[in-house]
Amino acid sequence: MVSGSVCIRIKLFSTLREALGESEFQLNISEVSESSAEVDVAAVKRLLSQRGAHWKEALNQPNLVHALNHKVVFTDALVSEGDELAFFPPMTGG
Amino acid sequence: MPVALQAEAIDIATEYARLVGDKPGAAVATFTGYVRDHSDQHVVTELELEHYPEMALKILEDLGQSAAERFGLSDWRIVHRFGRLAVSETIVWVGAVADHRGEAISACELMMDTLKTDAPFWKREQGPGGEQWVASRDSDAQRRARWQSEEVQ
Repeated sequence: MVSGSVCIRIKLFSTLREALGESEFQLNISEVSESSAEVDVAAVKRLLSQRGAHWKEALNQPNLVHALNHKVVFTDALVSEGDELAFFPPMTGG
Repeated sequence: MPVALQAEAIDIATEYARLVGDKPGAAVATFTGYVRDHSDQHVVTELELEHYPEMALKILEDLGQSAAERFGLSDWRIVHRFGRLAVSETIVWVGAVADHRGEAISACELMMDTLKTDAPFWKREQGPGGEQWVASRDSDAQRRARWQSEEVQ
């Protein structure tokens, strides 16, 4: 990025929320977008994984679900300023 | 709005009246889910339902609308609870109004099968042995998947 910051909102639910001790926070993704205007979910996961081993483990579990602006997406979905990205385990409602 | 998320118990008579109203629907089907006192080999004394409110509303509206289009429903309604629930309390209620019973019943089944895997709710069971998150079931995913094939019309 040339200047300023690009922030998205991260939300964690269920086992992810418990394991990581946070439910919601702002994340500046400017540093992963230095070389490109495009940042995908995988890049956000890599950025968050730098927070420690437990983050890396939690965000790389095989059945992890990613929802971008309330829609389930794959890790190649692009994120941008103001987006809401949620991570959680498979759903068990009903 | 045909979708409600609520902490309080579901008043089935009220929900039924909201669904049917004064319209002469030929076929009305409903499904009610309750908290079981057991899960696999465990005794369950209480259930806690965590949810993602904004996404849950969107997903339930989308899947209800999808069922309405697929089965030609004149009306439909989904009510899902969150928070702490005691054994035997209602968890979920769905209803569908159609011209014929097959469409109404199938629509309820589709809404429930889709809801269980696609709507952002997570169950946490409490019992004598402590608390544990409920794991997703392959059987739920299989029931969900069959609606995407030609098997179920």
